[in-house]
Amino acid sequence: MAILLQLIASGVAVGMIYAAIAFGYQLTFATSKTLNFGQGEALALGALFGLTLVPFIGYWLMIPLVLVFGFALGAVVERLGVRPAVKIKSEYGWIMATIALGIIFKNVAENIWGRDDLKFPSPLPETALQVGGVRILPMELLIVAGALLMMLAVEIFNRKSIWGKAVVATSNDIDAAGLMGINTQKVITLSYSISAMTAAFAGVLVAPVTLTGATMGSVLALKAFAVAIIGGLESGLGVIVGGLILGVAETLTGFYISTGYKDVPGLILLLVVLSIRPVGLFGKAVIKKV
Amino acid sequence: MLEVTGLSAGYGQVEVLHGLDFTVPKGQVVALIGSNGAGKTTTMRALSGMIRPRAGSIRLNGREIGGLDSHDVARFGLAHSPEGRRVFPTLSVEDNLTLGAFPRLTGSRPKGDVAADRARAFELFPRLKERRTQLAGTLSGGEQQMLAMGRALMLRPEILLLDEPSMGLAPKLVEEVFRIIRLLKAEQVTMLLVEQFAMAALGVADHAYVLENGRIRFQGPAQQMRNDPAVRAAYLGGSH
Repeated sequence: MAILLQLIASGVAVGMIYAAIAFGYQLTFATSKTLNFGQGEALALGALFGLTLVPFIGYWLMIPLVLVFGFALGAVVERLGVRPAVKIKSEYGWIMATIALGIIFKNVAENIWGRDDLKFPSPLPETALQVGGVRILPMELLIVAGALLMMLAVEIFNRKSIWGKAVVATSNDIDAAGLMGINTQKVITLSYSISAMTAAFAGVLVAPVTLTGATMGSVLALKAFAVAIIGGLESGLGVIVGGLILGVAETLTGFYISTGYKDVPGLILLLVVLSIRPVGLFGKAVIKKV
Repeated sequence: MLEVTGLSAGYGQVEVLHGLDFTVPKGQVVALIGSNGAGKTTTMRALSGMIRPRAGSIRLNGREIGGLDSHDVARFGLAHSPEGRRVFPTLSVEDNLTLGAFPRLTGSRPKGDVAADRARAFELFPRLKERRTQLAGTLSGGEQQMLAMGRALMLRPEILLLDEPSMGLAPKLVEEVFRIIRLLKAEQVTMLLVEQFAMAALGVADHAYVLENGRIRFQGPAQQMRNDPAVRAAYLGGSH
C-alpha cells in the first residue's frame, strides 16, 4: 500500500507537467483551431533561458523573466508559423511550420547551451519529506502548486479581464467576435503567447527534477499531446485529470511491469479514447451549427 | 449616415450582389426586403466587413469603410446584429453585453458610461436582467435575439444593422422585437433592417429597398410601398 501511494504521489507531479503543457495546446486550439507542435521546444528554451538567469538573480526572480520570454516566443511562433499558413488557407501548413520552428529552436538551443544535459539547481531542499510513509520531494509539491496556479491565473484572466473575455468570445464564434470590434488576429497571437508562456513556465518547474537540455521537451510535449487528446481539447478539467491518469499510469507501469514499458499505457489509453470517444473523456460533442 | 454606391460582393467564384446603391439617412430606419437568396444577408455582411466587397464604396459619415476588417468597421461605429443571433454561448448575458462595448473599453471609441448603458439594455430587455449571470447558450431563441440586439447597442453605434431579428421566433416575440425597434427609432437610432416579414418591416421603416437577385428592383418611402399592389403581390407575399 505504501508503495502504491508512493507511486501515485510521484505520478501526480509528472502528470501536472503534462497537464500544464496540454493546457497550452488547448489555449491556441480554442481561438484558432491550431496547435503549436513546438511546445516542447518552448518548454526547453524556457528552462535553458531560466538556467542562464538563475546564477544572477536566483530561481524566484528568474520566473517572471521566463514568463516574458515565453510570451514573446509564442508571438514569434504565431507570426512566422501559423498566420501565413492560415492566411493562404493551407489547412495543414501550420503543422509543418510549427514543427519546423520547433526544430530550429532546438538547433539554436544546442548551439547556445550545448548538446549535453545540464543540471538545474533546485530552489528547494532536495531531501524528501515524509508524509504518511510517502516520500515527496519539495520540488514535486512546487510543480503541482505552480501548474495549478498558472492554470488558475489564466482562467481568472479569461473570466475577469476584457481581453480575456475577448479570448473566450473568439473561441466561441470568431466572426461574431470580429463584429464586436475585437481584433481576432491579435487575440490568436495573444493565445499563442500565453500558450508558450505556460510551456516555458512548465520548463522551469520540471527542470530541477529532470535534466535540462535542448531535447528535454520533446517527449514531454508528445505525452502532453496525448493528454490533450485524452482529456479533450476543450476541457480545462480534462487535461488535469488526463495528465494525472497518464502520470500515475506511467509510474505504476514502470514499477509493476518494467520501466521499459513506462510509455506504453499512455499511448494505449490514447488509442482507446480515440476509438471510443474521439472528443476526449471530458470533451463536448461538437455540433456543427449552420 | 451610410452611403453605399456600386456595391458588389459574393463568395468564392459566385457574385451575389451586382452593384447596389442605397443610403441610410441619419436617424432613419431603412428596410431591405426581398425573397430568400436575394442578397440581403450578403449585403449586411459586406457592410460590416465579414466579407470583402469586390467593388463599390461604403461610406459611414463620409468615411470609407469598404474593405476594412469587421473589427475596424465596428470601431467606426457600425454595429451588426447578425443573422442567427450569434451570441457567445459560454459567456454570461452580462459579459456578452460588455463585449458589445469592446472598442469603448479598449480605447478605440469614446468610453462614456458603459455600466449605465448596460443598465439601459436591461431596462429595454427586462428578461435579460433576470438572466444576467446565466450563460447565453442557455437562453431561449427570443432571449438570445434580445441579447444580440442589446449587445449591438452597447457600441453606441452610429448605425445599427439588424439582420432577420424575428427569424425563428414565436409571433408574440416577433411583436416584442418590433416594439423594441420602434422604441429605438423614437430615440433616433439609425437602422438598416433586413426582414422576412416584409409588411412588418415596412410598418416601422421610413424608406425601403426591394432586392432581387442581387440588384435593387424597387425603392421608395416604406408607407407607399406597403400600399403598392404590385409590390405587395410580387414581393411581400401578403402575410403580415
